[in-house]
This record gives sequence, C-alpha cells and structure tokens, in this order.
Amino acid sequence: MNTLKTLTVLLFKNWMRSRVAIFFGILFPIMLFLVFGSIFGGPSPPSYTLYVRNLDIDSDGSPSLLSDVFVKVLNSTVFEVKVLSPGETPRQSGFAAVRILTIPKGFTAGLLNKTVANRVDIMVDTIKRFLEMGDGNITADARENIERGLKGLESFKQQLNTSSVKVVLEGSADDRLLQPIDGIIRNISAEFELRLLNASKAIELETITVNVRQLKAVDYYLPGYIAAFIMTNGLIGVSSVVSDFRRNGVVKLLASTNIGKSVWIASLMIAQTAAAIMLTAVMVAVGWAVFGIRALPDLLSLGIIVMGAAAFTGLGILIGGVVKEADAVSALGNLLSFPQMFLSGAFWPIELMPSFMQQVAQLVPLYHFHNALRFSLIMSNPEPAAASLAIVLATTVLAVCLAIAATRWKDF
Amino acid sequence: MGEPAVSAVGLTKVYGGVRAVDGVSFGVEAGEVFSLLGPNGAGKTTTVEMLECLRTPTSGDAYIMGYSIRNRSEAGKIRKIIGVLPQEFHAVDNLTVYENVLLAAAAKKNATGLKEILEGLGLWDVKDRRFSKLSGGMKRKVGIAMALVGEPEVVFLDEPTTGLDPEARRETWRYILAMKKEGRAILLTTHYMEEAERLSDRLAIMVKGKIAAIGKTQELVSQGGRVLKVSLEGLTESLAAELRATGYAVIFSSNDRAVINLTSREELLKLLTTLEVRGFRGVYEVRSAGLEEVFLATVGSKLTETGDLA
Repeated sequence: MNTLKTLTVLLFKNWMRSRVAIFFGILFPIMLFLVFGSIFGGPSPPSYTLYVRNLDIDSDGSPSLLSDVFVKVLNSTVFEVKVLSPGETPRQSGFAAVRILTIPKGFTAGLLNKTVANRVDIMVDTIKRFLEMGDGNITADARENIERGLKGLESFKQQLNTSSVKVVLEGSADDRLLQPIDGIIRNISAEFELRLLNASKAIELETITVNVRQLKAVDYYLPGYIAAFIMTNGLIGVSSVVSDFRRNGVVKLLASTNIGKSVWIASLMIAQTAAAIMLTAVMVAVGWAVFGIRALPDLLSLGIIVMGAAAFTGLGILIGGVVKEADAVSALGNLLSFPQMFLSGAFWPIELMPSFMQQVAQLVPLYHFHNALRFSLIMSNPEPAAASLAIVLATTVLAVCLAIAATRWKDF
Repeated sequence: MGEPAVSAVGLTKVYGGVRAVDGVSFGVEAGEVFSLLGPNGAGKTTTVEMLECLRTPTSGDAYIMGYSIRNRSEAGKIRKIIGVLPQEFHAVDNLTVYENVLLAAAAKKNATGLKEILEGLGLWDVKDRRFSKLSGGMKRKVGIAMALVGEPEVVFLDEPTTGLDPEARRETWRYILAMKKEGRAILLTTHYMEEAERLSDRLAIMVKGKIAAIGKTQELVSQGGRVLKVSLEGLTESLAAELRATGYAVIFSSNDRAVINLTSREELLKLLTTLEVRGFRGVYEVRSAGLEEVFLATVGSKLTETGDLA
C-alpha cells in the first residue's frame, strides 16, 4: 500500500468534507469575486449621480432655454442628473459622495452675450487679417469703410456684458472622484460653447477596439483572490487541521508507526495543492463564464500555484505545530492572514494605496504570490514579476524547512 | 515462562528537574493485561509513551519483544509490532470508520485483516459512517481498531475508557479481554479501580512517578481485607432513608447511584433481604473493595472518578 498516496487522498477527503473548509476555500472566494467583479469590473459604463441646482429660471419657475439644454447635455453623458429646486439640498444617500453643480442666475443671458462677443471677436479678427492679406488690392475708400465698420462692431461688443458665467461644482474634499468629474464637466462645457459658436471641432477623437488584450478590474481580482484564498487555506485551514490532529492524538498515533514526519508533511502539502488547483479551476471557470476572462493557467502559473500552496501550507503546519491552544492557533492564523489580504494589494491595485503602504505591501509574501501569478496567468508574461517569483520560491523553501522543524515526531 | 513482551528497567524521565517517571521497572507477558493504576500526573502516560518510542527516557531502558527502546535501529522494529491508543484519542471527524482505520493501515503499511478487526469490534456495519456521527463508545472502539491494525503483538491502551458511560466502558472491557485471549500483551493505564481490578492479571500502582505497589491483581485485592462494596442503581431517597434508619451507611455517588460498604457476607445477605422486602427493583453490584484499601494504604488518599486524589 502506498502510504503517501493513501494519506494524501484521506487528507483531501477530510478537507472536502469540511463545510467550513469548502465555504472559505471555494464558495467565499467565488462570492467575493462575483460581487467585486460586478461592482468594479462589469461591462456597464460608470454612472455618477450629479445634483444640479439651476438658479436660471423665470418667474414661473421654468428653466431658461440654455440652462435647460445644458442640463440635458450633462444627463446624456456619464452623469445621472438629479435637479434640485433653489434652496433644496440633496437627501442623505448613505455613504455615496454628493456633488452639486449650481447654474447661476443669468446663465442663458450671460452665455448668449459671451457667445455674441466671441463671434464679434472672431469676425473682427478675420476682417483684420483679410485687410492685412489684401494690402495692395483694397482701395483707400474701401479700407476706410471697413475700419469704420470694425469700430462699430467693437463699439457694439463693449455694450455687451461679457463676463464669464460661473458654474460652481461642490463636493467633499474626501471625494477622490471630484477632480475627474470636474474635468468631465469642463469638457462638456467647452463642447457646449463650441456648439453655440456654431464651430466644428478641429480635433476628432476616434475610439476603436483592437485585438490587444485590454485589462479589466476582474483580471486583477482573479489572481488576487486565488492567491489570497490559497493563503487562508494554508494559514487558517491547515493550522487548524494540524492543531486538531495533535490535540486528538492522531499525530501521536502516526508517530508511533514507522511513517516519517516528512511523509505526513508531504501528504498535507499535496492535499492542499490539490485544493488550490481546484480553487483555481473553479475561479477561472467563473471568470470565463461571468466576466469573459480568458485565462488558462499554463505550466508556470500552475507551478506558482503549487509553490504558493506549499509555502502557506508549510506556514500553517508551523503555526499548528508550535501553538498549543486551539483558539490561539485560529487567532494567529487570522492575524497573519487578514492584514496580508488588505496590505498586499490582492483585492485592489497597490497603486491606489499611499506610498508608504505600497512599500509595506512589498514586504508581504502574499503580494509576491499574487503579483507573480498575475503576470503569469493574466499577462502571460512573468518577466516583470521575476523578483516576485524568486521571493515566492524562497518563501516556499523557507516554509517547508520551518514546517519540518516545527513538526515534532517525538518528545512532544 | 519466556522473555516478557514488555520489560521496563529503571525507566526514568526528568523534565526540567522534575522526575515525571522515576526508576520504573516492570514486565508484561504475552497474553496478559498489565495495568498502570494511578492518579492524574502520576507518570502513567509518560511511561507508556517512552515504551511506544514517543519519548526518550532520561535514563533506564525498556525492551519490547527484546528490542531496546533506546536503540535507534531497533525502534523501527518496535513500531512494527506495537499498537497504540493514545490518551483522549479522537479520530478524524470527517472520515468514515473504515477510512480512519485505513489511515492507521497506511501509516503502518499493513492493511491486512481490516475487515476482521472491524467485524470483531462490531464496527463493520457502520464502516461507512462518519466518525463524527458515532456515539462515544463507538468512537473509542474505532480508536481500538486503529491500534489493532497491523496485527500488533503488544498493545498500549492509554486510559481507554475515560469519559465513557458505564455501558460503553463495560463493552470496551469485553474487547480488551478478547484481545488478551488472542495472546497479545496489553498494557493499559487507568485511574478507575474497578477497571484495573476487572481487566488486569497484574497491576502497578503509580504515584508521583514511582511504582508504589506491584503484583498480581488478586493478591493485591486480598491484601485489602474483606470489605464488600455494594453499588445500588435506582435507589430512591425514601428507601435510602429507611436503610439508614436500620443502621446502613448509604452514600450517594450520583442521583440514583449509592454505595454501601459491608464487612461480612452475613451483612450482605441481610441487606439483600431487606432490599427485597422493601421492594427495591433497581440493579445492584457487589465487589470486594480490596484494591481501594490497598490504594488507600499505599498512597494515603482515595482516587476520585476524575482521576485526582481525594
């Protein structure tokens, strides 16, 4: 009878039959992937709520022509416009950021005046250029008449109120989207002004789809979640199993036979690797079916998964081997897992984090595991993550050594 | 009589200056049940774990079927011929009965006779049931089954009935006696007087790491005098009051279990007649209280149900 094979199969069955292990090892990662993938990585374009307070209304309360058109233009873009009556404040909407755009009184009149003034400027400028270009071909009488007309135009312009219309955008200083939204509104306003001038754009932007792989948020999540939950399986799941087996005398029973502790450790690692590959297969299938991710693990990706599973299983064996109290084993497993999940950038790009936290992230084993896996699995190019790959390999070797050292097979 | 299956010679284990086991010597023959009886912390488990090659003795030696536990090259041979039921053993909850036994077989690299072991312990019909779904008695039987895998010549049972209800305890005793009939040497540790008395051919009383008394069980029991201990199950408070009124010292050990100590067979006959006349329909058990007396005389304290000294 093959001891390693039988032990591995039995340990894998033990894992598969544990409801807690299946929930936290398979179902929970899928749930998180679906939820976060849908929120941040779904196919729908983003939509931002924008409250608009239009003060440019007539005595009946009807909005002026241009302010009404401006609001409609805003609503046709990335904004979901909610119009506020003067003096009204938005209702509390939980933790969603509130942004209010105030269109001032005299918006239409000011915009028209400014547009006419701009047209006059363009007209005057054009005529002046015309005069310069046709210097010898224009008679003195004609030139005099034209210059008189120009003075008339400038005189007309001076009678107009040409101050700019000031539209105000209010938002919280904590709102990280306020700045991009400010930029979007400026673009929409510029386009609006161009249309009023009856001018056409000189620069056209054409967006075309190409065959080059476009990375989406879910592409980021997939390797992150796979790596994070392989880690929790090891640090929390394996440490609990080892602790239970120790406390219940199973380790003593095994140690009283001729089985070596290396066989016991190897069977735990192989069983957990099988669990990790199962998690990967399920996550890849969900990513393909729901989000259209085309990521088929190649040999290198599988190698990284095997190394990660072995590394975190080794650390789990270390915890289960050195900590005596069952509660303390669970607490230490969680203590080591959860900070890594959030600090490592497994759930969001570390570029979103402050610079000092980015430096901390790179000290965390999970960061290197998901980083290496991401470049291999998603980008199909592990070269930029060579350092992470080396760190994963080193962590695996170290963890296996620690697991062997921490597993007592005699003199418990 | 040939070479003993187990022979401990001056076995000693010291932890940080504390002599957990102090110069223990005894022997166990094939086909014999030998018990180490003593309170918690007496050094019983440490002694057994040294014999199982799970702990290194500080000094002294022991031989299992002639192989020294201190000789590293012989430890592998010892592990092949022993079966171990660790203290407070609890098999793997999510595996079935058969899979747990298979786990032991894989470790021992010997899967012969698994069906016979399970049939012998009455576990074959529940072989596909998860360990977590078994009763306490069944769980202990699975542990014994795992210890019996690999046809061991020497079986170590470390407190095999602790935590079991009386019925499951008696059932476990039957299997231990059956193992003895198969010619195995059985070394068990216990803090139950009754268990030691009923199962053991010979026993040693261990206190503070030392053997305080050792000998054949019957000889030790006879040293304890002729005190008879009558256990009564189902005794009502009213009947107990009537017995007390007629001069019997009735001591309740639980709600419906009481004990009366007698000094002669005549007193016993008189008590049984009184019980019959008063309509007692419960269960009674009579045994010699000799071992308790020996323990009390040797150790100076009584042993409680939980294994502590009273």
